[in-house]
Amino acid sequence: MGREKEKEKLSEKALNLLRSRLSDPNFIFRPLSDSPDSNYSKLKFIISTSVTEACNNSILLLGPRGSGKVAVLELVLSDLLQQYPEAISVIRLNGLLHSDDNCALKEIARQLCMEHQLLFSKVASFDDNSQFMIAMLRECGLAHKTIIFVLDEFDFFAQGKQRLLYSLLDAMQSVNSQAVVIGVSCRLKLLSDERFKELIDTYLSFNFTIGHLVRFLFQAVSYMDLSAGFLSLGNFKTALSSNQRQPKLECIRDCSVLELYMMVCMKRLEVKEQASYNFYSVMTEYKSIHDSFQTSDYYAANVCLRAFEHLLQCQLISFIDNKGHNQSVEFRPVKLLISSAELHQGLKSYQQCPAILLKLMDR
Amino acid sequence: MPTETPRKQFQSPKKPKQSPNNVKSQSSTPSIHLSPQTPQLPLRRSSRRSLQLFTSKTVDEMLDLSTPRKALEALDGIGKCSGNNRKGSSVRTPRTLKCKFNEEDREIPEMGKVGEGNGEVSPEALESKKRKNGLSEEGSVKMGKSPKCKLNEDLGKLGEGNGDVVSPEKRKKGLRNEESVKTRKSLRCKLSEEEMEIPDLGKLGDATFFPVSPQALESKKRKKGGEKRAVTRAMATRSLKKVNKEEKKGRKRVYYKKVVYDGGEFEVGDDVYVKRREDASSDDEVPEMEECRVCFKVGRGVMIECDDCLGGFHLKCLTPPLKEVPDGDWVCGFCQARKLGKDVEFPKPPEGKKRVRTLREKLLASDLWAARIESLWKEVDGSYWFRGRWYIIPEETASGRQPHNLKRELYRTNDFADIEMESIIRQCDVMSPKEYAKANDQGDDVFLCEYEYDIQWHSFKRLAEIDNDEDGECANGDEDWNSCKEDDSDTDEDMEYEEENERNAHARPSTTHQLAANSRKGRFFGIRKVGTKMIPEHVRCHKQTELERAKATLLLATLPKSLPCRNKEMEEITTFVKGAICDDQCLGRCLYIHGVPGTGKTMSVLAVMRNIKSEVDAGSIRPYCFVEVNGLKLAAPENIYTVIYEALTGHRVSWKKALQLLNERFSDGKKIAKGDDRPCILLIDELDLLVTRNQSVLYNILDWPTKPHSKLIVIGIANTMDLPEKLLPRISSRMGIQRLCFGPYNYQQLQEIISSRLKGIDAFEKQAVEFASRKVAAISGDARRALEICRRAAEIADYNMKNQISSVNSSTVKDVVTMADVDAAIQEMFQAPHVQVMKSCSKLSKIFLTAMVYELYKTGMGETTFEKLAMTCSCLCTSNGEAFPGWDTLLKVGCKLGECRIILCEAGDRHRVQKLQLNFPSDDVAFALKDSKDLPWLAKYL
Repeated sequence: MGREKEKEKLSEKALNLLRSRLSDPNFIFRPLSDSPDSNYSKLKFIISTSVTEACNNSILLLGPRGSGKVAVLELVLSDLLQQYPEAISVIRLNGLLHSDDNCALKEIARQLCMEHQLLFSKVASFDDNSQFMIAMLRECGLAHKTIIFVLDEFDFFAQGKQRLLYSLLDAMQSVNSQAVVIGVSCRLKLLSDERFKELIDTYLSFNFTIGHLVRFLFQAVSYMDLSAGFLSLGNFKTALSSNQRQPKLECIRDCSVLELYMMVCMKRLEVKEQASYNFYSVMTEYKSIHDSFQTSDYYAANVCLRAFEHLLQCQLISFIDNKGHNQSVEFRPVKLLISSAELHQGLKSYQQCPAILLKLMDR
Repeated sequence: MPTETPRKQFQSPKKPKQSPNNVKSQSSTPSIHLSPQTPQLPLRRSSRRSLQLFTSKTVDEMLDLSTPRKALEALDGIGKCSGNNRKGSSVRTPRTLKCKFNEEDREIPEMGKVGEGNGEVSPEALESKKRKNGLSEEGSVKMGKSPKCKLNEDLGKLGEGNGDVVSPEKRKKGLRNEESVKTRKSLRCKLSEEEMEIPDLGKLGDATFFPVSPQALESKKRKKGGEKRAVTRAMATRSLKKVNKEEKKGRKRVYYKKVVYDGGEFEVGDDVYVKRREDASSDDEVPEMEECRVCFKVGRGVMIECDDCLGGFHLKCLTPPLKEVPDGDWVCGFCQARKLGKDVEFPKPPEGKKRVRTLREKLLASDLWAARIESLWKEVDGSYWFRGRWYIIPEETASGRQPHNLKRELYRTNDFADIEMESIIRQCDVMSPKEYAKANDQGDDVFLCEYEYDIQWHSFKRLAEIDNDEDGECANGDEDWNSCKEDDSDTDEDMEYEEENERNAHARPSTTHQLAANSRKGRFFGIRKVGTKMIPEHVRCHKQTELERAKATLLLATLPKSLPCRNKEMEEITTFVKGAICDDQCLGRCLYIHGVPGTGKTMSVLAVMRNIKSEVDAGSIRPYCFVEVNGLKLAAPENIYTVIYEALTGHRVSWKKALQLLNERFSDGKKIAKGDDRPCILLIDELDLLVTRNQSVLYNILDWPTKPHSKLIVIGIANTMDLPEKLLPRISSRMGIQRLCFGPYNYQQLQEIISSRLKGIDAFEKQAVEFASRKVAAISGDARRALEICRRAAEIADYNMKNQISSVNSSTVKDVVTMADVDAAIQEMFQAPHVQVMKSCSKLSKIFLTAMVYELYKTGMGETTFEKLAMTCSCLCTSNGEAFPGWDTLLKVGCKLGECRIILCEAGDRHRVQKLQLNFPSDDVAFALKDSKDLPWLAKYL
């Protein structure tokens, strides 16, 4: 008994260790950092030259979501902050929050004030803030301090007049400052504006999507059987299945028989190459099925409409277009959102599925 | 000495001390920062002569003085008298010795006598004589042809001697004649009679008499801490003007630009040694020339300075003797031995002779101080004062001496004090690093100053190079001209704000907005706090490689020395501007400049304006105002009125008010201030952004020049060629007449631009530069882009080089930028990353993309729906033996691609009816996926 507990304790420890490592980006990206070809060392080189050689730079990190752009950047920044503790201040902005120029400048001013323990005023105007930013850039340059601007979700900053980017990058071209602007974005085609495009020097692209793998591993680890103390293949399989869910099929499992009827009707209409259908055309089909097969499941039109609306809510069907909002639901054309193969599979796995429905599917 | 203790007490509070604790305790005592009029200040007056002034009067006289300040000062003087009287004689020696002469210098025959005179006149004799004579005659008493000058406010006399002030060139020439390397200083104080007699007329002509009134003093006193309060002339004038009415007394302060005092010529901006203590009797002889550390004689031989201990050595005294001064750094044998860990003793001076320390040594041992003269004036009582800005040696800062501090390094502080001229010993040279690097044989009194030290925050900041420029401008004496420049923050208005603000800072810190660093008023105060606590090591200890230098010069922020390839355009702009402002009528005009980005539009205009400004300074063109506005930096187009008005007058008003005032000025021809009749040049960058819906902003701005008395010249810059045509006809008729096009650079021009920047730096292969410029010329002709590519290429080369060094210790590391590096940079910059992303994306995404292309070929339609695509996908998968994962997974994959904008798609909840479209040409997809290793069958469908 005691040994069991001890074992469980040990395996719990192991589990915690695994989990903490998986959720620590430092641990994941550190091994990749040493090779000279890695983005880590390239990025680190660029930023540290700005610190040591007092120059400006701008970098754009591109790559799909979950590819570790921010993680690598944070790793680099934390390393550099350790290396030059006094000389770096990091300003972080997020395009989702600060895409408005006014608000972005205010946020920059606020963070600059925080970094240098200055008083900050909320009511300062756009001009004041931008002048303050430029003055700070210059002063920090004189004091051998580097300001690093991290603009996450960079694409949002690149919309509209791009006043913030312009004033930031223009200041870096004219003022004697040492600053690095790092844009992070998952959009590959965001630099459509020429005026802005000329200003960015360096592009680093990431493409290795590591986020999913980590999430999958984390899930697998979480399924670990504590009494066994080891990860088994089964753990990974369950994790995989829970990772690759098929929401539409799961929806079918919760549907009523009447709703199944309606979906089969829609499918039949599609087979008849009727491109669009609404509630009434589905009802006509439903009626004709009832007439020819005399099923026991025949309901009144208002009940069917309920079922129809439920299907809409589950997003098993949807309206074809967004036109005709003022029309009532039953007149608007709809479309089935699952393939016939999936519908078939769903019907098969449905326990009380009437045999007639499967038959109707085949024909 | 009995008097020593009190004296020290007096002196200690005057300067920030070494340790931060000390400073704190001091700052609590008010004495450090007190401005000139407060009683503490006379403490500074360390020399004897000031005391004599006091002692020559009766105490009654002094107490009779009308203002409390005076009385206090007087009292203080009395207090000091007792301490100083006895020691006076020891103090004065430096001044006499200073005028060391050179026998070989035939120009000044009297000099020979100076030395003798010095020996003969006993201090006592001098003392008594001085008591009889007034201050102005003192100089002549002292050793006959003494360097004493008469400071003459009597303008009538000025006519005679002004031409004779020795120019710096002359001084330098003299210097070269000197035998010893380390003796420039002697020449500084060399005197010739003409020089002494009367200060430069031109400078003195500027001097005006300003009455001091109690009110003015009041206001100054309130500002605690003289910090950051350079008393500029403008300021003094202002504060005095305010109280002009009240003042009745005939007491006047006379400000000078240059004062010849006691044989030295002191100008605003000069650096001087200032006495710190008088009691150091051992140091009473200050050698004009440093003694050799070996033979302890001054001698004639050439001396060399050790770069480590700064000691001087005769070349012939060294073992082995040197023939000539070697290039580069030289470290004496003693220091070398000490570095090796040996115990070395410097040769002892011969019996009975004490080694005499030079002023430099004393300064660096903090027995002396150095200050920079900010302003010079004559007090009512006839004594001469200057406002000095202290220099500080590294040991006295909070962080102490850092290992990478240079031996001769000083910091400029933001601590000011009013000092009597009497305590000046002589001039020294504090130079910027650039000057310092050039200064080789300039004697012993050369110091380096790169940083400013903030005594409140104990932080360092590099001195901005602009500082020097500003000083230069002020020296030109064209204050009016300066004040209308946009970037000149020293207008009276600003100063007032700042002062007020500072006062607020001490008085009531509750008003947060006023003090917030990002608000207009608080910025100045707040920004001062920024500074580094230590000077980082990498700044000093790192030697730049060729590649790093190349990178630095290719930076866009570094201003090029010359602007090649735009001569024609610049000429055109010059003729336009000159024609407009030189015209007597000064009809307003308008010039529209257009061209693609990076073709030097703004740069050319600014360069032209710089040239013209230098002509204005030279006096060949009448002064004008220049206002520069950038359309993109305005929060709203209407704000341009505010910006222009602020630039012209220094007042900030709302845009509506500004518009009204500007209309009055330009349209109605109302001139309010005296500078208003000058022509005004308005440069608007990114003009296209001022276009509003009804285009009223542009209309207003372009309408003013057409008015008869506006004297306004508008230069608009934008990228689009046809901006005038896009505007309303009534606007384009006002602006579209004169245009200038900046075409894109061709590759030769780009090459010239790059190589002109890289001149003298051997870091680029010639083909590499050509390659880069050809590439850029083919794409855009954007010079910025070309420079950036070259810089990035240098960065890549640097990166590779440093990696190679760290990994392999191979000696074959190339340190030039090759074609390959440039190519890599171009790839990085021009090649869109999508191909790379497509190449490395997941299997399913590749199938998805292939299906998109396949669908496109099949239907010929760009747009498809998810349903069709899913069918195609499943077909592809099943026929090639891949497992089809189901629609939901496929949908997820599609949305991911949509997120990267490789495809354009509707939201994922549309599912089957979701519309999809490729965002890149199908050829790109085909190119990227053709050779994919994990899915070779994809090529069939592409």
